[in-house]
Amino acid sequence: MNKQIITPFFSLLLLFVSVKGFSQERDSLNLQEIDSPINYYTQLSVGLNNPMYRDFATSPLFYSGFGLDLSAAWLKRADKRERIFEIGLGISAQSPRVPESNFIQAGGLAIFGNLRFFYQELWKLEALSNAKNNTKVGGAVITTQNIRVNTALQNNAMGLENLLNIMASAQWTRDISRTEAKQLKLWFIKPTLKPVKRDLRFLLNVGVLNFNYRPGYAYSYDSEMNGTDTNPVSWVFSNYKWSLNGFRLKTQLEYIKYLPNGNARSLSYVWEAAHAPGKHEAFQMASHRLQYTIHFHTKKR
Amino acid sequence: MKHLLLILSVLLFSSCEKMLFKKDLGSIDPLVNFDYLWNEVDQKYSYFELKNINWNQIGSTYRAMLSENSSEEELFSVLAAMLNELRDDHTNLITPFNISSYNVALTGPKNFRARTIEEFYMPNPWRTGALTHDFLSNNEVGYIRYGSFMSEFSDDQMDLVLERYKNTKGIILDLRENGGGSIFNVPKLLGRFVDSKTLVGYSITRNGSAHNEFGDKEEFYITAHDGVKYTKPVIVLIDKGSYSATTFFAVATKAFPNITLMGDATGGGGGLPNGGQLPNGWNYRFSISQLLDLNGNNYAENGVPADINEAFDWSDLTKDEILDKAIDEIVN
Repeated sequence: MNKQIITPFFSLLLLFVSVKGFSQERDSLNLQEIDSPINYYTQLSVGLNNPMYRDFATSPLFYSGFGLDLSAAWLKRADKRERIFEIGLGISAQSPRVPESNFIQAGGLAIFGNLRFFYQELWKLEALSNAKNNTKVGGAVITTQNIRVNTALQNNAMGLENLLNIMASAQWTRDISRTEAKQLKLWFIKPTLKPVKRDLRFLLNVGVLNFNYRPGYAYSYDSEMNGTDTNPVSWVFSNYKWSLNGFRLKTQLEYIKYLPNGNARSLSYVWEAAHAPGKHEAFQMASHRLQYTIHFHTKKR
Repeated sequence: MKHLLLILSVLLFSSCEKMLFKKDLGSIDPLVNFDYLWNEVDQKYSYFELKNINWNQIGSTYRAMLSENSSEEELFSVLAAMLNELRDDHTNLITPFNISSYNVALTGPKNFRARTIEEFYMPNPWRTGALTHDFLSNNEVGYIRYGSFMSEFSDDQMDLVLERYKNTKGIILDLRENGGGSIFNVPKLLGRFVDSKTLVGYSITRNGSAHNEFGDKEEFYITAHDGVKYTKPVIVLIDKGSYSATTFFAVATKAFPNITLMGDATGGGGGLPNGGQLPNGWNYRFSISQLLDLNGNNYAENGVPADINEAFDWSDLTKDEILDKAIDEIVN
């Protein structure tokens, strides 16, 4: 089942990356388009997500599955400084990792959605940078609101949690551009590879202050008794508590290929893991995401 | 080569969640599952003290019936029996092959026979949404049957029903054998029979490992609905099959002088159930809160008593004595 989903998705992503999909692409590399002091990008991403989670308030079992992830980001990038704001939305179908039964197999299906906001600001670390390498460090804020639906959990069919993390960030970008045309010799085919600007980027975010908003002691929406008199947000979260504990990590490895007009496209592998102990029972989640991004070069200065 | 090393190190780092998180706790070991459920109930169930339940002793008794070699059927049987010691219909064990329940309705006599009403009182009732209704006693009384709080009705449908009976002397709302459902429908229905926002009770929820550890009282209000209202006498029929949301409804009626409960005490179900899953994938639920009336009295779990007691006489199936008594109360 998983292979059936992954194989066509990978093929599609590789196709996107390998073909010249932009009609405005030109033959020659105009680095001035990209190497302006400050560049602005609008980024649109689509990804295949493999999330997993475990909510000890309702189950000791891991839930895992596959889903789609969409995001939009606005990036301001300069040699010495950059900042990005991203909004992302993910949805996936999850099933519990139930041990094999000797009688009748238990199962289940949950829907796992999340909405996230990410803001990051980075400054260049001159000591670790040169003509080919750009290293930046800084900080980021990420907040994720999960919405889980699992009807088998009866009155706790809806699971909600918010994670808010202030993170330390480090980014290393390696310029892997092809600056001169190169002819390949593949038996009798001899294609010529044109000069192209490319970057390999690795980003690491480590949670420094990790907040989470989790249910109270006994997980139930008991304030729903007055649900018709109060707005849903009020009764749903009435017993939730903020905690400052746990951890969150995020890494992203991105291969970016620029076009002469300054636009770009990239393929990323994003990994995230978070542990939110809350006040009473922990929530854990991790995800592996393969993401294709189109970078629209909207402005330069 | 450098790139390859980087990619490999990232991939290695990226599978770290297996090291970062506790091990997978899935297990089919009967004793592991027994201990998990026993502990969850111990930590969160809300009626140990009210029902004088010695959970430690119950745990010891039932755990001794299991071994690591017990079959899944044996495990179900033991866990179901242990949960039934709580005497609570909000407590169930849900597996792919069976669902356990206490069935509190069987602890009292049956007091409702739908066919008697259909055959001898309302041969051609209106069915508006989840509400079955018609005139009784020469159009002096309106009868509304609401069989489950799981079933929905719209505001427009309720407006129509109450508009139809606006000239009657009173309404009979039949909630016998209404086993509950969505708690949202309690204020939605009761708000039609009251004039103003009224405090009707409180809820307290477990918030600590001691069996008597509860959070602050949460107030339970009923607000008058904006649509058509009926504030003349209303008699609500209840019995042992009236459970959960119906018990919430019955407790709330105690705050309104125009509403009378008639029949038998409700079956209870004053706790809101918490749902969860065992290490073997089975599901469960049990009560984690208590419902209190305005004076802080805790009778909801054992059943809300009727204001006027009346019983169905099964020797004559052409009559519903409880319904007759309600008609009599309104007309005379």
